[in-house]
Amino acid sequence: MNGAQAIVKTLEEHGITTVFGYPGGTIMPVYDALLDSSVEHVLCRHEQGAGFAAIGYARAGHRTGVCIATSGPGATNLITALADAMMDSVPIVAITGQVSREGIGTDAFQEMDMLGLSMACTKHSFLVTDGDKLCQTLHEAFVLANEGRPGPVLVDIPKDVQLHDVQWHPPLDLVSNEFEPASSDLDNIQQALTLLQASSNPIAYIGGGAVMADAIDELRHFLNTTGIPSVCTLKGLGSVAPDTNGYLGMLGMHGTQAANIAVQECDLLLAIGARFDDRVTGKLDTFAPNAKVIHMDIDPAEVNKRRQPDVTLHQPMNWVLSQLSEKLNVSPWTDYCSQLSQQYAWEYNKPGDDIFAPKLLKELSDRLPANAVVSCDVGQHQMWVAQHVGFHHPRNHLTSGGLGTMGYGLPAAIGAVLSRPEDPVILVSGDGSFMMNVQELNTIRRKQLPVKIVLLDNEKLGMVRQWQQLFFEGRYSETDLSDNPDFVTLASAFGIPGRTITHQNEVQSALEEMLASPSSWLLHVRIDAMENVWPLVPPGAANHEMLEETI
Amino acid sequence: MSVQLHLHCRQQPDVVERILRVIRHRGFTLNAMSMAPSSYGEKIEVAVTVSSSRPLHLLTAQLQKLHDVLHLNSQNSNETNIASDSQPL
Repeated sequence: MNGAQAIVKTLEEHGITTVFGYPGGTIMPVYDALLDSSVEHVLCRHEQGAGFAAIGYARAGHRTGVCIATSGPGATNLITALADAMMDSVPIVAITGQVSREGIGTDAFQEMDMLGLSMACTKHSFLVTDGDKLCQTLHEAFVLANEGRPGPVLVDIPKDVQLHDVQWHPPLDLVSNEFEPASSDLDNIQQALTLLQASSNPIAYIGGGAVMADAIDELRHFLNTTGIPSVCTLKGLGSVAPDTNGYLGMLGMHGTQAANIAVQECDLLLAIGARFDDRVTGKLDTFAPNAKVIHMDIDPAEVNKRRQPDVTLHQPMNWVLSQLSEKLNVSPWTDYCSQLSQQYAWEYNKPGDDIFAPKLLKELSDRLPANAVVSCDVGQHQMWVAQHVGFHHPRNHLTSGGLGTMGYGLPAAIGAVLSRPEDPVILVSGDGSFMMNVQELNTIRRKQLPVKIVLLDNEKLGMVRQWQQLFFEGRYSETDLSDNPDFVTLASAFGIPGRTITHQNEVQSALEEMLASPSSWLLHVRIDAMENVWPLVPPGAANHEMLEETI
Repeated sequence: MSVQLHLHCRQQPDVVERILRVIRHRGFTLNAMSMAPSSYGEKIEVAVTVSSSRPLHLLTAQLQKLHDVLHLNSQNSNETNIASDSQPL
């Protein structure tokens, strides 16, 4: 068996059935070995698309995503996706070809130092220079990608190592690592319980760590038992079902008024798999100013990074939440939060015939089943999705949170539909983001994937234009996209049907037509170029100083 | 404040580069550095002196996440008894 065959066999051993990639010179042995394997290779049309598809596959399906690229430009094209996975803690194994060992360091054709380039955007990376260590290194990559706080791991493999005979061996049996609480763990829990029992205005601030810890059931049980109101970060959305009593929606820069007010007024903040990101806290020293903090996070580096906690809980989250699930008497506070929620409920009745994007997304959300996955890109439409689409599980919401990568949505949707073929997958994109990985429409065509696409087109880089309007005195610099292509014609070139709508009275029939289609379908939606995302916490302001525009 | 860190690491060609990258990225200045192999060449001992206006734990927590850093000890560089704390931070 040569190295390439050992690589593919290792993928099979780890239960990998689908990989995303693009072939090239130094990875050709692996592509040759794939021909004889059970692993399905999805040819994307750009390595960045392959990386994001692997992310969508991993996030939607709770599994490890694998992407493959050749050396040099193929590998460097993966970098943005790896950075995205790093910021959003997604388990990815990236396999890249490298020039043969004697060529490394000679500026050989398509040589690039991927070990050096990957250091800042991976959890770890390996350059395999010894064929005898190839299998163990790959096994280690899969373990590293998933253990603790998940993240991307890159394995760079010279072409001659792929061609060299190697001894394949299965992964070593890992010693069972079941959590056994020590007395210090129980002391931590007792301290947290003491704070909970002393609090009259507690609130749960839930981030992406809850789903990473596979603790959604325990989280919901905890919220139901204690009655504590809750808010979610962008990546936490779906952790709490939309109709849960006391759930106030997303907090932060474009969060709901109710969520931000309640957090500012709380006396105890339970940060559950959240990291006090700047988009969440606004001006940090004004965030939840009177609150004590219980911080649950598996990554010790996140604790006391931005806010000093009173109690820290690093133990497995499902165990922690079950230990803390005791009934509390906080009903006056929960009632107050519910009142806030009603007081600041979304208003959808905007006058005029134009299509109001938030209302369209609410109507889309109301038509989707609970198992639908919505992938989105980055910008205004991303925030509208977060505000107006109800999510029943965090794995149903794919969004580039930490890195904020335009071009994420389309390939992530491709990964999601391959990961969960039984569930409907909708892409909501903007005209700016959509063009950044538009080549992946051909991956949809190639694999005949039923991804539904809602393209909100304001002929602008909307979020940047909004900031230019609000914070740069209306000096619009390079945010005009009125020279966009005809998107319906563009989609048709990839064999994807669709239609354009421009008026509110077309929305209902268009959504029905799109969702009834058995194949991929593009709904091109023209919206007002000057529509803004509200509310907005201005840069440098506290979260209670959010700006709002009333309809 | 200047602080000395001692890192006990796997002997990997990239480990020092990773340590230096984290020190720079997390806002610390490298003032001095030395390194030597140990454990018959299987491990490497790295000593660095760093300074920053940022709290030290922001750096040590990130360094400890590096796959090839096995142990990390710190002490104020004005003290003479180096690496007296054998427990990971």
